[in-house]
Amino acid sequence: MTATVPHSDVLLKVLGAPHRTELITSLFRLTEALLERDATVQIWACGDATGLTRASLGMAKPADVTDRARTFPSTAALARDLIRKNDGRLRWYVCRFCARDRGHAEQIDEVKTRPAARFWEHVTAADQMIVMGVC
Amino acid sequence: MDYLLIESGGPAEGPGAVRFIADATALAGQGASVALVLIQNGVAGAVAGTMTGLEDFVGRGGQLWIDEFSVRQRALDRGDLISGARVTGMGDLADALLTPGVRAVWH
Repeated sequence: MTATVPHSDVLLKVLGAPHRTELITSLFRLTEALLERDATVQIWACGDATGLTRASLGMAKPADVTDRARTFPSTAALARDLIRKNDGRLRWYVCRFCARDRGHAEQIDEVKTRPAARFWEHVTAADQMIVMGVC
Repeated sequence: MDYLLIESGGPAEGPGAVRFIADATALAGQGASVALVLIQNGVAGAVAGTMTGLEDFVGRGGQLWIDEFSVRQRALDRGDLISGARVTGMGDLADALLTPGVRAVWH
């Protein structure tokens, strides 16, 4: 029954608003550290975290009016680059219900939306799981 | 390692952090191998005199890890932290998470 979800060493389920705490920084830091150790990782974004990879973010953050010469990547760009760079070892899933409920239905191409009722498949496909944050 | 417990809120988040540390202390007291990782605002709890229970956790054999990045973000100095704390990186957390059989909780 888990054929649709490839095995992963770690499942990181992330919830919570992107800018309330450093949670998303921790998510990216931990994901990178795991990938540097050749682990396979899947991220399940739920709640407000579905906004991290919404297409409307674009690839860069809005211009910094105090330093227009510099650009900074959006979270969607960070996720896209991590997924592309790691050649199938990072898979990023977005809860369809939470995304639609928040107007985040349009996501970047590199992530997959999944129905909430299939979350159990992701749990059973992972050797380890932690839940980061709350809705 | 039996348990990897990660506290991200610290004293500012109310009594939940203290209770989480009490759980870690209870597990350590029962002989389990426990690493308690303080990260994000959780590192504020490791400043001496800030949060009760951490000395007891270390005294019962628990491993207290403090996230270096979070310490630097808050301009804390290692000398500010309680004795027995070990400043670690995200790589240490990743290694622990990949240890077979470890039970991990992010709070």
